[in-house]
This record gives sequence, C-alpha cells and structure tokens, in this order.
Amino acid sequence: MRLLLISLLILQCFPCIADFSQNLRWSLDGSARLNYNNALDNTSQIYALGLDTHKVFTGAEGDIGYGVGQVYFTKLANHLPVPFLFDSKDDSDFIIREAHLNYTAGAKWVPNVRVGHFTMPFGLEESIDTNGRLLDYYHGKNLGTKLDWGLSLNKVIGAVEYNVSYTLGGKDKAKSVDGSYALTGRIGSLRHLDFIFGVSFFDGKIDNVSRRRLALDGQYYWQTWGLLAELAIGEDDRLGQGWKTEKYSLVELNKTFINEQLKLYGQLIVRDKEMQLNTDKQINIGLSFQMSTQLELSLSGRQQLNTPAAGKKQQLLRMQIRYRY
Amino acid sequence: MNILSFLLILILGLLANDVNAVAYCSLRDPVAQIAQLYPQKTNQLSIVKTVDDNIRAQVQVSLPRNDLHFSELGKHTLYVAMQGKNSLGYVHVRSEQSKWGLVEIVWAIDKDFRITNFAFQRCRSPKKKAAEEQQFRDVFIGKNYQELRELLSTDGVTANKAVQEQAKSAPELANVVLRCALKTLLLTEILWGEELKKY
Repeated sequence: MRLLLISLLILQCFPCIADFSQNLRWSLDGSARLNYNNALDNTSQIYALGLDTHKVFTGAEGDIGYGVGQVYFTKLANHLPVPFLFDSKDDSDFIIREAHLNYTAGAKWVPNVRVGHFTMPFGLEESIDTNGRLLDYYHGKNLGTKLDWGLSLNKVIGAVEYNVSYTLGGKDKAKSVDGSYALTGRIGSLRHLDFIFGVSFFDGKIDNVSRRRLALDGQYYWQTWGLLAELAIGEDDRLGQGWKTEKYSLVELNKTFINEQLKLYGQLIVRDKEMQLNTDKQINIGLSFQMSTQLELSLSGRQQLNTPAAGKKQQLLRMQIRYRY
Repeated sequence: MNILSFLLILILGLLANDVNAVAYCSLRDPVAQIAQLYPQKTNQLSIVKTVDDNIRAQVQVSLPRNDLHFSELGKHTLYVAMQGKNSLGYVHVRSEQSKWGLVEIVWAIDKDFRITNFAFQRCRSPKKKAAEEQQFRDVFIGKNYQELRELLSTDGVTANKAVQEQAKSAPELANVVLRCALKTLLLTEILWGEELKKY
C-alpha cells in the first residue's frame, strides 16, 4: 500500500497530469448474485456496489502509464462457506479488487513496471478477466489467491507478451504474512490473435501452503466458437508435511453470438491431488446476456461428477445481475 | 475509507455515464498493432473521449441505415503515434458487426484524416487472408471520409460493384471494412478533431 501511495505521489509530480479528469474512465458497478448450493442445501446472496476507475497518465512524448482502482462495498447474506475476506456468513466490508499503477514509458525493450494489488499472471486468467463475473478459471483454488499486492514486470515485444510478478502473498493485506510470497509469471503469444498459447509458472507460499506450478494454456477461436484449455502440474506442501503432487486441467468450449450480446460456455475441470483418493471432476455451464451497455444477466450451474469421500456431490446454481453506470 | 468518503465517490460516480460493459482492469492498449502500423514510433499518446447517444445520432444522420454497435458506445481511446515529441499519425480501433461476430480493425490515419493503413485486431472471417492482400487494402488506403463514402452503393450499407470486384472472394468482408472505415473517420473528426490539431 505504501509503495502504491509513493508511486501515486511520483506521478502527481508530473505537471502534465494537472487535469486529473483527462483520460479518466470511471463507472459505478453494482451486482446482486443469488447462489443455491444443493450439497449444503443453502441459498445465499452476495451484493456488491463499487467504483471502477481507469486513468491514463500522459506527457509530451506520450503515455507515462495508467492506473486502475476498484473498491467495492460487498455484503454477504447467509453465504457458506464464508469467503476468507469476511468473518461471518452475513458480514459486509469494503473490498479492494484491482488497485495498481503500470508505468509504460520505458524504451522499447525496457519492461513496464506495475505496482499494487493485481491479478497474478498465470494461465487463462491473464488474458481473460473474470473479476466480478460468474465465469471462473479457478485461479484462487490453484494458486492460493487470485489477487495479491506486489510488483510486476510486463511488456508486449513483437509477437510475444510477458508478465512476471513478485507479490507478498498476503492476499488482501499489503504485507507478507508468516513468510508468505509468490513468484508468478506467464509468457505467451498476443492475446488478440485467433490462436493464443502461453506458458506459466508459480512458486509461492500463501496461507502456510507452499505451491509450485507449471502450466500451459491455449485458446483457439473459429468464427463464433472458442476452445480454451489449461493444464497445470505441480506440488503442494501443507504446513511442512511434505510435497504432494497436484494436477489441474480445464477445457472450455464457448459460443459468442454475432451481436456479442449472448455468450454461452461449458467447462470440464479435472483436479487430481496425491493426498486425495478421488480425482475431482466437475462441469460448469453458463451464459452471459448483455442486455444493454450497462446491464448484464449471468447464469451458471456447476455439477461435480465424482462422488466425494465425504459429503454430497457439489451442485451449485448461480444467477447474477450486474449494472454498470 | 469511511462511509462518507465512499458515498462521495458514489455520488461522483453518478455523474458518469456511457460506461463500457467490461471492467476497466481488462482494458489493454493495442501496442503490438500500433508498432506494426508505425514501426518507427517510440510511444503512443492516449486521448480518451465519450461516444454518447448524441454522437451516435450524428453517425446515423451522416450514414443513414448505419448504427454503432453497443460496445462502440462509452469511453474510447484514440492514440497518437509518437516519435519523441513528434506525432507520426493517429490510431483508432473500431468494431463492426459481421456474421462472424465483431470485426475489430486498427486504423492508421494521417493528419489530413486519410486512411494510411489498417490491421485486423480481431477478424474471424474465413476470408480474412483475402482482406489482408495489398489489392484489397489499396481500396481504402489514401482515402478520406468523402472519398470512401463514394464507395458505398445506394443502399448505404454495402460497397459498390468496383470495390466488390477488388475484394475478389471476400465481398462480405469488404462491406464490413468499408462501414468500419467510414464510422472511424467520422468519429475521429467529430470527437477528436479539435484536440488533434495539437498533434
């Protein structure tokens, strides 16, 4: 946090940014999410209302960098299990999602430098943003957190883009907790192409769980269809109990209608853990309907295919209305 | 942050409108395409403006039977390709609906608002390669809004026969590229024209 404030002060020193409203985007972002968890026989809601901002800082020779700030007041209603950011199933709090500055004015080969709270660069999530959406690529479950405080070096060079970060592993806290840290990175082909390929790595310790990962991700788009895949292999060491192998794979088929208002997707996720007898298999299906520039309706359903060692098969139905003003 | 300061931010937020449907953390500058269109550029300079319903209406008046896709409303960026402190030209990315989904085209525009080049940011037409051939590109390169408008057929949405012949096997894509070029040049002049006099 301190680093972010110092960076903001440095940027404020540039006389060219006296007019802060120039090149500023902001929107009010509100959503209501209804969840039905059949395994727990529980219905819950999540309400979020926040401000999403994006500001480009420019000088006489071009852009210096940009900043993203997203703060949301989030209220749970009977939500189980309780997310780590909250204390109880009906808790509420201000949540910082993305909050970072990216310095982009370096010479051709000099990396951009991002500082703040950002999504860790790994796998499909690096090129497909899922913040505030029902669509998910299980970043948090795979790495221990989706967003973290720290610093990253990133750049698009020729036909390649890369993003490597060192973050503190404190998740929502801008500090290292019990020696936590995360070194994450992805290098891949350009994200606007019809065929995108990337290689990612992760080495970190978050919530006293050490994790190592190596992943491949790919996206192929043909007309209005998309085929996405991610394969991550690695190992976890929970509380120093020794390294256990973990494998995670995801395949997604999606369809975007020609007016871009309706998007459908289906995912198959297979997670294999050495410390667990069964291989977890689940399918997700979902849709997103953009009713106008501002209003979006999303639906998703999740079904666990294997029978878990304890408890019921996971079945989750979710619906979300999101309005951006 | 206390409740009062958060409420203040929300009230300020209410003054904003014409937002983009996507969260701003997903915004990315087309730096690879700008470098492709202006290989000598050292940086780009962003100018963000709002495409609102009033601007949309002006497009509909100037180009009857045409409209802007909903994703084309809201805040959009025009880039000035820079070499040091000198401007090389402008870059404007626009989307046009097609039967293969949105076609996103990165347009290079000179200081007289003529098309100097273009690159597909996203085009999932099976005829994309035909549209990337020089013969196809030459239909658009060097032309301003008025000259491109003359390439429209009487229906106002498709390209005339001469353009269709140049497009060989990709006549549908020629229509899409032409409509996109016209809207891009029109919006560039209406929205960014005054500010671009500085560059």
